[in-house]
Amino acid sequence: MSRTSFRFGDLRVVALGLVFVLAWAGIGYRLFQVQGADAAVLAQRGFDQRIRHETIEAKRGTIFDRDGVELALSVYGKALVADPSLVEDPSEAAALLAPIVGADYVELAQRLDADGRFTYVARGLENSVVDRAARAIEEADLIGFSFEDAPLRIYPSGGLAAPVIGLTQVDDGAGIEGIESVMDTELAGRPGKRVVERDQAGRAIPQAEFLLESATPGSDVILTLDREIQYVAERSLQAAINGTGALGGTVVVMDPKSGEILAMASLPGFNGMDRTTLDPSAIRNRAVSDVYEPGSTLKVVAVAAALEEGVVRPETPFETPPEIEVVGETYADHGRHPPVMTVTEIVAQSSNVGTIKIQKQLGDETHYRYLDAFGLGRPASIDFRGEATGRLDHVSEWCGPACGASAAIGYGIGATTLQMAAVYATLANDGEWVEPHVVNEIVAPDGETITTEPRRRQVISAETAQTMRSMLRGVVEEGTGFRADIDEFPVGGKTGTSDKFDVETGEYSETETIAWFIGIAPIEDPSIVAAVVLDTPTGTLADGTELKFGGASTAPVFAEIVEAALHQLGVSPVHQDNE
Amino acid sequence: MTAGAIPRSAARHAGGRTRTRPVVRPLVIFVLAVIMAFFAVIYSRTSLDRTAFELQLLDREIATEEQRHWDLRVEHARLQAPNRITERAAELGLVYPDDRQTIEVTGVESAVGGPEDRWTELRALFVEQP
Repeated sequence: MSRTSFRFGDLRVVALGLVFVLAWAGIGYRLFQVQGADAAVLAQRGFDQRIRHETIEAKRGTIFDRDGVELALSVYGKALVADPSLVEDPSEAAALLAPIVGADYVELAQRLDADGRFTYVARGLENSVVDRAARAIEEADLIGFSFEDAPLRIYPSGGLAAPVIGLTQVDDGAGIEGIESVMDTELAGRPGKRVVERDQAGRAIPQAEFLLESATPGSDVILTLDREIQYVAERSLQAAINGTGALGGTVVVMDPKSGEILAMASLPGFNGMDRTTLDPSAIRNRAVSDVYEPGSTLKVVAVAAALEEGVVRPETPFETPPEIEVVGETYADHGRHPPVMTVTEIVAQSSNVGTIKIQKQLGDETHYRYLDAFGLGRPASIDFRGEATGRLDHVSEWCGPACGASAAIGYGIGATTLQMAAVYATLANDGEWVEPHVVNEIVAPDGETITTEPRRRQVISAETAQTMRSMLRGVVEEGTGFRADIDEFPVGGKTGTSDKFDVETGEYSETETIAWFIGIAPIEDPSIVAAVVLDTPTGTLADGTELKFGGASTAPVFAEIVEAALHQLGVSPVHQDNE
Repeated sequence: MTAGAIPRSAARHAGGRTRTRPVVRPLVIFVLAVIMAFFAVIYSRTSLDRTAFELQLLDREIATEEQRHWDLRVEHARLQAPNRITERAAELGLVYPDDRQTIEVTGVESAVGGPEDRWTELRALFVEQP
């Protein structure tokens, strides 16, 4: 029997073999674990690390004027972002970048010095600013800064028609004011979704699988505004504000036949491109949000109603003493006029006494019915968010004859500039009220257009409207509105001056007024209606006339705007000498 | 002389047995096919990658051109802004005329299309715009 002797060398071989076996067993186990048991979990983890779910921003629609000129459009802007934990010297970085991107130095330095790993330095940057900022960052060797894509809303005409167009939010681009807000759903479009596989550096892996749901661009909105007329309206209004020291003013220019608003100026305004100086109180569109007592401009409703109802005729005479008392309230006329005047003369001279007498013959009920039919006391249009309804109490709530008398001469009733422009547009459009609107068309990305027909209703007959227009021509030819006259076009209109009501004292001011002029041009075949309002104009003309009166301050503004507007619209001048 | 040195022709007949010739040609063809397939796969893969990069480059170019398109539209609109034109006109010494003279030419229709004509053109562009 042979004996096997144990050798040390065998032990080493066995040990080595064991090590190999264990090593391979370990590798095998790990392989089994990775590829078998935990395969699904690990695959998912790796997938999650590479995969990013991204939102594709929808391109916001463009806002055009009536001639296809861009008033607001979106471009591919950039946002400068920072990781504060990487910024070595926040003060130095803020001092360098704040003036370039238009940020506040102190605020930016605080944000860069704060905890956290993400903050915006500035958003909505244009390419030129991005280039300068990138160069500054590179030259100063700043770390922790990068650029991200961020849509940028541009208003190429600056502050032109800004209160009408409105604004978008800086962060998510949603509309917050004006058409940007009212048409936000249409303009915004629908964002898309993208699942992208990216490498460690964050670069998209070519050919890597990604699912894509395309973003749907927003629709374009075409306004009825004419940029040239809008510019003239704003320029003339600004000149009037500068010249009279008024607190503000509004202008509405509209096409009476279609109800299209050609210009809507509201000053003080703002510039959507300069948010650093944005005054929140200036963002509102005063033409639809501010309610004033229309004063004498509202007399046309009582007179038109009386003519329509056959209560009076243009030549019907009325005794017109300097003042009249109605249930303890005394109403007086400004200036001197004949003791007896016809209805036409009452309108031309803007006699309070005469108008109150006409209203008394008409009666409160009927007067109220016409005030309502002319659109007072309710929003005039659907195109403006936050449009004021104005104030028109139901006739059952009127205080009696005194309220009727006040209503006849434009007191106790509140109206916006737009509502009053619509009243005169009704006279210009042969008695048919047409809803004023500023949105002409909505054009979807596929070219489909959506047009909304404005509401219409016949308020007075065409004959009464024509008679009223003749009377309004008389106001300019021989009455209080002579400063609205234009050489090339016969215009008609009505002046108005209402004392401002002081809410604190509960009394009317003796010095502060709201000055109005609303007119129609050309009066025979109207193309436009324009309403001009100045809030608290002051000063006097060379002949001593106080500018607080509409005939002195707003009538010339009307003339300037209307003359330019008619030329812009291509209306042929009328040779008045040959008439 | 060793056995290995026996000439092939003599060995072929040794013992009266004929040795079958090894099948080399199909093997070579197979190996070549495998190699070719390998290179084909590699080539197609690199081609795909190259195409992907080219596509990415084109995407980037499209994005750049698109951005340029919108930048130009902004520039175009800015240049048309009435306030800018008024300022430039004032700088050049142009003023509004105090007195206008209107000359009416009868029997001449406007040669320029109205807003509707302009919009027909623009609507066609809406569909094409990026």
